[in-house]
Amino acid sequence: MKTFTWICVTLAMALVLITAPAQAAKAIKIGIVDCYSGPPAAYTNDVRDAFKLEVDKINAAGGILGRKIEVLTRDSKFKVDLGLSAAKELIYRENVDIMMGTINSALALAISDMCKKEKVPFFVTFSKSAKITGAKGHRYVFSITENTALAGKAAAAGLAKKPYKKYWIAGDDYEYGHAIADGVWDNLKKLRPDVELLGQSWWKVGEPDFTPYITAILSAKPDAVIVATGGRDCVPFLKAAKATGFNERVPFFMHTATELATLKPLGLDAPENVLGTSNYFFYYPETDANKSFVKKFETAYSRKPAVGAVYGLLAAKFIFGAYKKAGKVDTEKFIDNVEGMSVDSPVGKVTMRAYDHQAMLPMFMGVTKKVAGYDFLIATDIVTVPGKDVMPSIEEIKKARKQ
Amino acid sequence: MEFAANITLSALLQQVLVGLSRTTILFIVASGLSLILGVLRIPNVAHGSLYMIGAFLTYTFATLVGQSALWFWLALIVAPLGVALLSFVFERGLFCHLYEREHMMLLLFTFAFSLVIGDMVKLIWGSDYRSLTAPLFLQGSFSISGFPFPRYNLFLLIVGPLVAAGLWFLTNKTKIGKIARAAAVDREMVGAIGINVSWIFAAVFVIGCYLAGLGGALVAPTQNITQGMDHAIIIEAFLIVIIGGLGNIWGALLGALIFGLTDSIGILVLPQFAIVFPYMAVVIVLTFRPKGLLKSTW
Repeated sequence: MKTFTWICVTLAMALVLITAPAQAAKAIKIGIVDCYSGPPAAYTNDVRDAFKLEVDKINAAGGILGRKIEVLTRDSKFKVDLGLSAAKELIYRENVDIMMGTINSALALAISDMCKKEKVPFFVTFSKSAKITGAKGHRYVFSITENTALAGKAAAAGLAKKPYKKYWIAGDDYEYGHAIADGVWDNLKKLRPDVELLGQSWWKVGEPDFTPYITAILSAKPDAVIVATGGRDCVPFLKAAKATGFNERVPFFMHTATELATLKPLGLDAPENVLGTSNYFFYYPETDANKSFVKKFETAYSRKPAVGAVYGLLAAKFIFGAYKKAGKVDTEKFIDNVEGMSVDSPVGKVTMRAYDHQAMLPMFMGVTKKVAGYDFLIATDIVTVPGKDVMPSIEEIKKARKQ
Repeated sequence: MEFAANITLSALLQQVLVGLSRTTILFIVASGLSLILGVLRIPNVAHGSLYMIGAFLTYTFATLVGQSALWFWLALIVAPLGVALLSFVFERGLFCHLYEREHMMLLLFTFAFSLVIGDMVKLIWGSDYRSLTAPLFLQGSFSISGFPFPRYNLFLLIVGPLVAAGLWFLTNKTKIGKIARAAAVDREMVGAIGINVSWIFAAVFVIGCYLAGLGGALVAPTQNITQGMDHAIIIEAFLIVIIGGLGNIWGALLGALIFGLTDSIGILVLPQFAIVFPYMAVVIVLTFRPKGLLKSTW
């Protein structure tokens, strides 16, 4: 009986090995680690979908350098340990050529560190920590999303033009919340030394009830409020603002308040007159590049693209454009070609700054308003801040990296 | 350290009222947990997940035929019943067979239940978060001495005492309530006088879970309905039950009051460290009364 069992086991193992898929011409593998469960998925799905759209287009035309592209995605569930083990699996077992991800800044920094050691190029999408291309930047990490330093500078430029003097800062009590608040405040103080900070309120991420915070802020009577909420709390905070009439009593600014992913779930119940900064609107600017991008995305996925789609598109354009230019799949040559590269996008020409590997994205500052023809609020009075005006100077990056 | 600029009396009053409406939700959920803990002697780790299902079910019912006031009220009634039904099926189908087994088994089982529910919610409703708006007449806010007080919070302030009164009536004036209280104190004796203890457990479990579902249903219009809801509420509910006294429903009310009020007043007084206040209160209570403020049923 024992021999029989062993024969069966050997046969089974042989079967498994034989039926393992035969390897065609080795595909170029791109690994994406991101959070596809819970609230962040609303943002991250667009990145993957837009990226896949480009990949399908290239594969249909024969692939790149004669090789097909394979995209592998892994769900980090917004947890750093899960994301890291997924990244390890992609790098060591699947031998991916490029890594992409993620909306969780802490995880992005951890993967960036791993990619530095393993010399795998890592394109950061969505994570807004300035450390990614700042203090912790290196040769193998690229960022194609704005970060808290850029957003802060753009927001400060817009707020400096307003007559507000006394500010209150409120937000999510975690790294991103403090980073965006500091980004906005430090830059604002530089442009307007007369602004005064009356106080700060910090709540836990995922705070269910903002009403007590709102009333506390109102009792301090600031001229304006800087709201530093992360992806998870933007929508609930705006909801609470509408319910309590907060937006009608005191003007407030929130980064990403004007984005589609933030305003769509609220429908026509979103608060009006909220100042916000964003990287992308599907309805502005009404250039041919933007319109055709929106049409392509909507045809494929039956929904309008939000900012994540632009990140996905940019990633595809930089990655595959650089491979084509390099002429072969070689990591060092690839990186040399991405540096300083410019690609066309729905928001205009975007250049990857060679020194810190940060894409120079324009920022749009606007105000939420109800406009006929949309069943959610959109941004109006849009002011465009060009990419090069919001980038930190190279001296600042040098200082941050202690070079 | 920064103190808020103006701690006027009206601001304080406002914070107290808001804190009390938060107390309502906390009390409803914690009382269910306390009930189950007191009678069945098991911490129901799935309580938070049932609360989450209550919120999701409310969303689904209320938006079934577009968002209208009628469907919202219907959802408020139907969703907790749905949760109760789910818990009944779980209890009779799987749980009751474990009553004779070791205590740890029951705890682990509720934990498994919470994990299954968590993924079930993701499967059925997807991973996007949902946003539900209250019916029109509950939207917007009153102005109480210059500060906005959302109408929905006033609604919660009315519902809270009603539920408390209902629970008091149930446990003190009805037969099943008295038997449940007896079973909480001495289940062997209850069994000895011929009452089927297993069915009592089922009834109490279902009522406790109904309360979790009711809490979820009531909280649905005020916040994002997402996957993380269960983790957030279960910790708070357990802390409230512990500081109130295990199994004591009035303890749950007291605990919820402490939690809700320290939270909202703390936000006014020290907004930078507002998160810490309720937990500091818990630490203080447990330092001086480690067994909880009111008598536990054990």
